[in-house]
Amino acid sequence: MTSIKDSFYAELKSVNSLNHLSDLKVKYLGKKGIITSEMKSLSSLPVDERPAHGKKINDLKTSIEAEIDRIESELKNRELKTQLLSESIDVTLPGKYTLFGTEHPINRTLSEIVDIFVKMGFSIEEGPEVELDYYNFEALNFPKNHPARDMQDTFFVSDNTVLRTHTSPVQVRGMEKRNPPVRFIAPGKVYRCDADMTHTPLFHQVEGLMVDRHITFSNLKGILVAFLHQMFGAETPVRFRPSFFPFTEPSAEVDIGCIFCKGSGCRVCKGSGWLEILGAGMVNPRVFEYVKYDTEEFTGFAFGMGVERIAMLKYSIDDIRLFFENDIRFLRQF
Amino acid sequence: MRVPFEWIKSMVPVKQTPEEVAHNLTMIGFEVEAIDRMDGDAVFEVNVTPNRPDCLSVIGIAREISAFYNIPVEFPEHDVLAELGGLDFNVDILDKNLCNRYAGRIVRNVRIGESPEWMKKRLEKCGIRSINNVVDVTNYVLLEFGHPLHAFDLSTLKNNTIRIGTPANLKTSGLIFKTLDGAEHAIENDMLLIWDAERPVAVAGIMGGLDSEVKNSTTDIFIESAYFDPVSVRKTSKQLGIKTESSYRFERGTDIKILKKALDRAAYLMKEVAGGDIYGKIDIYPKRYVATKISVSFERINKILGLKLSKKEILDCLSRLGLELKETGSSFTVKTPTYRRDIQKECDIIEEVARIYGYDRIPAKLPEAVVGSEPNNMAEKNKTLQARKLIKDALLKFGFSEAINYSFMSMQDLDVLSISLDDIRRNTVGILNPIRTEDSHMRTTLMPAMLKNLISNLALGNKELRLFEISRIFINTTANNLPDEKEHAAGILYKERSKTLYSDETHSFYSVKGLVEAVLLEMRIKDYSFVRSAEQFLHPGQSADIMIGSGNTAVNAGFIGTAHPALIRSLGIKANKPSLVLFELNIEALLSASESKLKYRPLPKFPFIERDTAIVVDNDLEASTLTAMLKAFKSDLIEDVYIFDVYTGTNIPQGKKSIAFNVRYRAADKTLTDAEADNLHSSLVEQIINETKGQLRQ
Repeated sequence: MTSIKDSFYAELKSVNSLNHLSDLKVKYLGKKGIITSEMKSLSSLPVDERPAHGKKINDLKTSIEAEIDRIESELKNRELKTQLLSESIDVTLPGKYTLFGTEHPINRTLSEIVDIFVKMGFSIEEGPEVELDYYNFEALNFPKNHPARDMQDTFFVSDNTVLRTHTSPVQVRGMEKRNPPVRFIAPGKVYRCDADMTHTPLFHQVEGLMVDRHITFSNLKGILVAFLHQMFGAETPVRFRPSFFPFTEPSAEVDIGCIFCKGSGCRVCKGSGWLEILGAGMVNPRVFEYVKYDTEEFTGFAFGMGVERIAMLKYSIDDIRLFFENDIRFLRQF
Repeated sequence: MRVPFEWIKSMVPVKQTPEEVAHNLTMIGFEVEAIDRMDGDAVFEVNVTPNRPDCLSVIGIAREISAFYNIPVEFPEHDVLAELGGLDFNVDILDKNLCNRYAGRIVRNVRIGESPEWMKKRLEKCGIRSINNVVDVTNYVLLEFGHPLHAFDLSTLKNNTIRIGTPANLKTSGLIFKTLDGAEHAIENDMLLIWDAERPVAVAGIMGGLDSEVKNSTTDIFIESAYFDPVSVRKTSKQLGIKTESSYRFERGTDIKILKKALDRAAYLMKEVAGGDIYGKIDIYPKRYVATKISVSFERINKILGLKLSKKEILDCLSRLGLELKETGSSFTVKTPTYRRDIQKECDIIEEVARIYGYDRIPAKLPEAVVGSEPNNMAEKNKTLQARKLIKDALLKFGFSEAINYSFMSMQDLDVLSISLDDIRRNTVGILNPIRTEDSHMRTTLMPAMLKNLISNLALGNKELRLFEISRIFINTTANNLPDEKEHAAGILYKERSKTLYSDETHSFYSVKGLVEAVLLEMRIKDYSFVRSAEQFLHPGQSADIMIGSGNTAVNAGFIGTAHPALIRSLGIKANKPSLVLFELNIEALLSASESKLKYRPLPKFPFIERDTAIVVDNDLEASTLTAMLKAFKSDLIEDVYIFDVYTGTNIPQGKKSIAFNVRYRAADKTLTDAEADNLHSSLVEQIINETKGQLRQ
């Protein structure tokens, strides 16, 4: 019995593959294997010796089985390891992907502006880009043959049709559609017959309008300061100074402290420490008369800003024409 | 407007530095854009808004500074101490609506020559070139008082006569007039001119004539100081294309009162600098200025501004501006001076109070909650905004970057795309005054701009491009004054064969189609189809129109397609067989088919069984035809069908292809057996083989 055990272990030592192991398994445990024939030879023993001998054989069988299982799993593990090793790839090669596209910096800035006002409860209005003289000028209190019209170089489509020079006509269209109270913004494209380093014939504006009983100039300042602080940071200084727009009275130009030099004066703010950022004012009662709002009962304010200007400041872009050249190396930076 | 600080100080003795004064001017509405150091002086570059022509002068700016610092203005010397006798001169205003007032003086025996240094310096600081002493005086007074004057050579005025009228007033027409710059102008019959006894000598308020201008030999001068109607001057100036310092001020409105002072000042200065003898004056004033009277309540001012100013504070602001005020209990009346014709209404008074009080002293306060009312179509509007965002997000996810182009194109851009003459995209809106001829029309398609973006990027060496734009196109409709503005989304995918780490054999057409289909699915558009496109600039075998709806009511919602090789050639693209796929979608058309309601469908309770089959059919059988046949098979148990392989080549006869499809069977109320699925599937396959005249692939 001991010799069986010894020879098994001796043979087991030289096993180095699953095939070899399976041969060994057959040799000892198979139908015609050594252990099986030992079992069969039990019958030739005297009856009283059989149980003790039988137990010995069984024990041997169990330990051989266990040993074979152990070696089997060991060999399997080794084999898997070799296989996995052979499947190894260079994980430092780049992955396969399509980069997400990028939103145009103008629309990116526009969304930022719009989101701030939408959170303040403004809804969004849009109007036509090819616009009637009536909406672009007349109902905004730009009389025909008035020098105020020179403030905006106009593209004409016909005698009474223009490419809108500002988003302000949407004020009139928006009010025609509603009764006060009114609170909306109007983003969109506008056109001026002008092209150089600092002007493009097309640019973007966001217009805003709020009308109700008891709306004051103080409220105009409140809303615009809140907007500018969200847009440029809560520490940004804001100043209001008188200006002129035919459709607002009083009118204001709104400046923020220069975000580059913090007010000490630099090239961007031309040494003044301030950057002109938007125009605003209390709605001129004449405009209310055009849309048949009661000028005694209702007051309101309007404001407008150029999106290109804000985007240029935000991203330190010094040439407005870059926005419309659509060089992918530029667009991909946003 | 350039204003020298020392000139201002000669009228208002301010103690502050130029910087402080400039800052305060800015804060009361006269933005000092720059301070120019010149000759030891500070020259303010002041931006004067069109409503304040009175401040197109040193005296106007001085008046504002005086209001701010509350110190009085001193007018410069203009007393004509000695007049040499009367005036043998006739002035006749033929149209008093266009010329409300006309005054003039004669100065004899002037010696034309150089102006004195002090005058030349001030003119120079204001950006005006010195010409001679007499002309310089008129310019000097223009800057000082803001009132344009004109000096005629008296000897050229026939019969010592001046008449002010239009050709219509004088019953003449077809005039050609030569202005002092030598240009000839055709005069319309409603243009206001200055005439002597025989002929026109100046275009009123705009420019004098060549014949009557002051020359070196001139000795006697007639100085004109008048008030001309702003609208008339503006119209004439525009029509003739002449813009002068004079017309600029007249069209904004001049001070009808100060014109007399300006005339005297000019005569005074001519005597000073050119040694003339001043003669009497003529002053005809047929249409008197009527001051506007405005009544304003104190409460209203505070209500609009959001302030609590006392009556005294309010009146103080206004009286500093030289307005004539009368308090009447809870309100007051204002009489406007001749130089403030911009003050017409209550709101103008409110602005003056705010301006002098200081915008920066008005507190910033958020309004009490205002919930804006919304018109009925707001839901539609929001749907449009959502659709735009959805399409944009999808394009960004697919790697397309956003472009923004000008809304212009030229008709030639449509020719490049071989767009036929009866195509709706030929219904263009033209621009009367384009900056460039290639920008002469509003675009009716976004494609030309996309292609130009491609060309410019290729020139910069950007050899792979995914670009899109969402913008409006403009279709001219004769029925309406305004064109149809429709929002389109267009894109371009360009790739050249390049060395890449990982190959992607997907045809670019399918990449873009997949993107479009993802958008359609996301918008919950079900009833759509891709049919071969007739666009001439697309590859006829690799392009499709997107049709929304079916049958006769189907709407074209755009196209996708590989660019036609001829287009690639005409764009001058040199690369070898680049892949260029274009698309343009009409967002409105997509929206009309978009199902807005999102509704939950219960999940299936029983398992499905799948069967795959490959059939060999004619090469020209399109996938959509086969899918339609499969879907048309009458059985409630078919849940889904899709094509998963198309193959031509070995073992497939010439002119044929193999298509493999998958059918998924499921019953809603029980577990299907294999036998049931097999039965159903074999009758389905039999029907398909009959309909396609194909056969099972062996």
